[in-house]
Amino acid sequence: MFGKGLLKGLQITMREFWAPKFTVQYPEQQHPVPERFHGKFKLDPDACIACGLCVNACPNKVISLKKEKVGKKQYLTEYLMDIQYCLFCGLCVESCNKDALKFTQDFRLCQYHHDNILMTLVKREAPPQPVEEEEPAAKAEPKAGAKAAKAKKEVAAGKAPDKEGQK
Amino acid sequence: MENLFVGAAEGLRNTLSGVGLTGVWNDALLMLVKLVGILVFILINALWLVYMERKVAAFMQARIGPNRVGPKGLLQTAADIGKLISKEIPIPKDADKVVFILAPCLIFIPPLMVFAVVPFGQNMVAIDMNIGLFYFFAIASLSTMMFWMSGWASNNKYSLLGSMRVVAQMVSYELPLVLSLLGVVMITGTLSLTKIIEAQAHMWFIFVQPIAFLIYFTAAVAECNRCPFDLVEGESEIICGPFTEYGGMGFAMFFLAEYANVMLISALATIVFLGGWLAPFGWTFIPSWVWFFLKMYLMIFIVMQLRWTYPRIRVDQLMGFGWKVLVPLSLANIFITGIGVYIYRALGW
Repeated sequence: MFGKGLLKGLQITMREFWAPKFTVQYPEQQHPVPERFHGKFKLDPDACIACGLCVNACPNKVISLKKEKVGKKQYLTEYLMDIQYCLFCGLCVESCNKDALKFTQDFRLCQYHHDNILMTLVKREAPPQPVEEEEPAAKAEPKAGAKAAKAKKEVAAGKAPDKEGQK
Repeated sequence: MENLFVGAAEGLRNTLSGVGLTGVWNDALLMLVKLVGILVFILINALWLVYMERKVAAFMQARIGPNRVGPKGLLQTAADIGKLISKEIPIPKDADKVVFILAPCLIFIPPLMVFAVVPFGQNMVAIDMNIGLFYFFAIASLSTMMFWMSGWASNNKYSLLGSMRVVAQMVSYELPLVLSLLGVVMITGTLSLTKIIEAQAHMWFIFVQPIAFLIYFTAAVAECNRCPFDLVEGESEIICGPFTEYGGMGFAMFFLAEYANVMLISALATIVFLGGWLAPFGWTFIPSWVWFFLKMYLMIFIVMQLRWTYPRIRVDQLMGFGWKVLVPLSLANIFITGIGVYIYRALGW
């Protein structure tokens, strides 16, 4: 019959008119984020031993950390991520022996100002040195700790990838 | 409820008489109020139809559509118009400036003029003209002029092509449009829109003249330059046709006029084929103007559904369809209706 196709078309659009809609109204509704999503980083500062493996693992040199030696242990004082260069590969998270560094499901990392891009995961003061040590040693040690951190940073900045490349 | 608007008009007339205005001045003021009321009605409806079109389109594509500005996105069109008003109207260097500006100014006049004779409900017609139908088409076809003016004055290839298509299409489809309604006129023996509605008290003309209704509807959609006959605007071929060079409110006027025209053809389809303000099944507890409104919106919805269902047809198909199918069909319809009317009269019904 002539015009059958036209009617069929109208039928289809009419059916679609009442069908449920697919649009997700983003700020109010959200698609569920997968469990292992590579989102914002979260660092558990108490679990972190400031070993610097994550700094070494990062291909883009995003991570920089500062630490001080308190007693016999390294104490993390600052953990920064220049997140604009991060490609969320997850090598840092994998390298962490203590499972201190983790991904969260928060993907809202946009910032209005350029200065806010630098992500500070940890920033804290080192606790006072344990009292049983002698005075001069206690004074010298923080400096040594700072030196070590500097050295570590240099390694992270330039030398570590070279070494790996030579291997 | 039935006499809401009629009563309001009567009250206004009495108030004016009480103040001391009588005779011609009273009538003139009342007419002014009626026409301004119609104007506001059309403009608000045009705004609403833009929103409705977007919603209908979205729903047919499994989307939600505008829903951010105002409750349920109802103020979306108001925001759009606000934006368009605040924009500059750029005039091309080589354009015919006077005609270029004049076209969008005049585009709203034919629909506004035609709505003066449309009966919105029982006794609710601003001017009850005895040649209403004739007046309707005489004025409505003037829109062609504005489209041609805009296309010519733009001094642009796309605009010119688009406006040539407008003229060709609107002139071609005017013919089946008018011819399809002749059958109804032959049966009722009148051109008055009110009388045509009253003649449908027992049977709507869509059942008496189904072919005429289909021809009318097809030709009317083409007359409005709506999809699937929107070759005039044909975005993929000629950008926006005659409106290519227009921006800001100039464009908005054309845009709103399109919806006013859609409303117009839907109103006429309601009047001539769907019994106007007459209530079906004797459901007179709903006021007549609500019935008119519902029927009109049903037709508008179908026009919108057509747009989101069918692809655009080709120019030669358009012309071929108009001249080789619609015109002969409507002529045949007139012929058969004439025979029918003659037989009925001979039988003495």
